Amino acid sequence: MLEIRDLHSFYGEAHVVQGASLTVRDREVVALLGRNGMGKTSLIRSVMGLSAPQVRRGSVAWKGEVLTGMTSHEIAGRKIALVPQGRRLFPSLTVTEHLTMIKSVRARDGWTVDRVMELFPRLAERRQHRGNQLSGGERQMLAVARALMIDPELILMDEPSEGLAPVMVQHLEGIIARLKEAGLAILLVEQNLYSALAVADRVYVIETGKIVHEADASALVDNPQSLIRFLGVH
Amino acid sequence: MMGINLFQILNGLTFAALIFIVASGFTLIFGLLRIVNLAHGALYLVGGLAGYSAAKASGSFVVGALAAMVLVAALGAVLDRGLLSFVRGVELRQVLLTLGVAFILNDISLVIWGGDTFSVPVPEVLRGAMWIGGVMYPKYRIFVLVLGLLVFAALWLLLNKTRLGALIRAGVDDPEMVEAMGINIRRVFLGTFMLGAALAGLGGVVGGAFLTLYPSADAEILVFSLAVVIIGGRGSLVGAALGALLVGLLNAIGQVMFPELAYFVIFGPMALLLAFRPLGLFGRAA
Repeated sequence: MLEIRDLHSFYGEAHVVQGASLTVRDREVVALLGRNGMGKTSLIRSVMGLSAPQVRRGSVAWKGEVLTGMTSHEIAGRKIALVPQGRRLFPSLTVTEHLTMIKSVRARDGWTVDRVMELFPRLAERRQHRGNQLSGGERQMLAVARALMIDPELILMDEPSEGLAPVMVQHLEGIIARLKEAGLAILLVEQNLYSALAVADRVYVIETGKIVHEADASALVDNPQSLIRFLGVH
Repeated sequence: MMGINLFQILNGLTFAALIFIVASGFTLIFGLLRIVNLAHGALYLVGGLAGYSAAKASGSFVVGALAAMVLVAALGAVLDRGLLSFVRGVELRQVLLTLGVAFILNDISLVIWGGDTFSVPVPEVLRGAMWIGGVMYPKYRIFVLVLGLLVFAALWLLLNKTRLGALIRAGVDDPEMVEAMGINIRRVFLGTFMLGAALAGLGGVVGGAFLTLYPSADAEILVFSLAVVIIGGRGSLVGAALGALLVGLLNAIGQVMFPELAYFVIFGPMALLLAFRPLGLFGRAA
C-alpha cells in the first residue's frame, strides 16, 4: 500500500505540492485528477524519488517503509514503476531493447518479453523499430510494457491518455483493467475525467498542490457534476 | 609542394586509427556523463608513460598496454567517484575540475619520468617495414590501423549487442528515466568512465611507440580528440570513427601540402561543419 502524507515539494522557491495526502491500496486503481499546472506530475515525481522537485516535508511510505530520501532506482527496486508523462522512450533503443535492458530475454519469472508482447501484439510486430519510429499509441504501449518489466506491484502512470486517439484511449483503459485483474495497483494521473472514471476505483482531485476532493468512482459515474466544478471540464 | 601519395594516405589512416582509439573513450564519457573530460589527454600521457615503464620492465609490449589500461581505468574511477561526484550536474565546474586534474597529472608525470622524450618499445614482429601497394611502410603503423578497426568493432558490438550497451545508449538518451527503471545509473557512469579512460591509456601506449611521449603530448592529443568528437557528434561511435578519419586524413594532407597551415586545414573545415551542423555529424540534442 502506498501512503502519501502531508507531502510538500518545491521547485526552487515555488511550492508545487502543498501538503498532499493520499493512499493507494493493494490492487486498487486510483485516479489523480486536476488541471494543468496543479502539481500532478510534481507529486508523481516526488513519489518516484526524481528530483526536482525537492521534497521538503511530509512522507511517502510503501508497505510501511519510508521512500522519501531514497534514490529512484532504489524505489523502482521496491516494485514501483513509472510510466512518465510524454512516454520518454529511448530514441536509440529498439522496442525489444527497451524491455531487455531491464531483464534478459531468457528470464522466465514474472513479466517476460514474451508475456509483455502477448499483452501488446502491436509491439511484437515492431520489435526492431526504434522508440521514435512508433505511432503515438504504440509509444504509450511500449512505455507501459517497459514499466512492466520490473515486475511492479504499483505503477505510477502520468497522463497515459494524453495525445491519444479516442480508440487508443479505450484500448488503454482495457489494458489498465487487465493489469488490475493481474493484481497491480495503479496511481493514474489524468486530465480526462471520463477516462479516469472508466477505470478508477477512487478519485482524488488536486488543485494548486493540495488534494481538495476525494470520492469513490462508482458514486461519480452517474453524477460527475460534483467534480466538474473542480476540473473546469465538460 | 608535393602531391599526395599512398604513403601519406597511410600515414593519415594510421594516425586516424590512433586518434579514434583515444577519442572513442572521450566520446563515451562526453556522451553519457555530459562531461568534457579535459584530463583525457593527461590520461593518455600517464598511460603511455606507465605503459612504457611496464613494457621496459617486463620486456613485453602487451604487458605494457594492459598495465596502462588498468592503471588509467583506476585513475578514471578515482576521478569519477572521488572528485567529479562532488560537482555532479554543474558542467562548468566539472570542466574546470578535469582541467585541474590534467595539470596535476602532467606535473606528477614530470616528477616521475622527467621531461625526456620516450618511445614505447615495439615488439620484435612489428619492427621493420613491409610492402603495401608499391610502397614500403612500417609494420607497426599497419598494426595500429588494424587495432583501431578492432577497437571500433569491439565497441560497436558492446554498444549494440549487449545489455550494458543498451544501458549506456539509454543513459545517453535519458539518464533519469534509466534510473527510474531500477538501474543504478551511477554504476553505469562509473563503468563507462573507466572504459573511456582505459582507451586513453591504450592510446598512450600505442601512440607512444610511434609519436613518442613528451610533456606536451597530452595537450596535442586532447585537441585532436576534441576535434574528432565535435565533428562526429557527442557520444556517437560512428561519428567518432568518421571524425577520426577526417581529422587523420586532413592532418596528413595539411602537413604535406600546407605545412604552415596544418592546424587550419583541420580546424577550418571543422568550423565550417559546425556552422551547418552545430551538433556534429551524428549529434543529437540533449
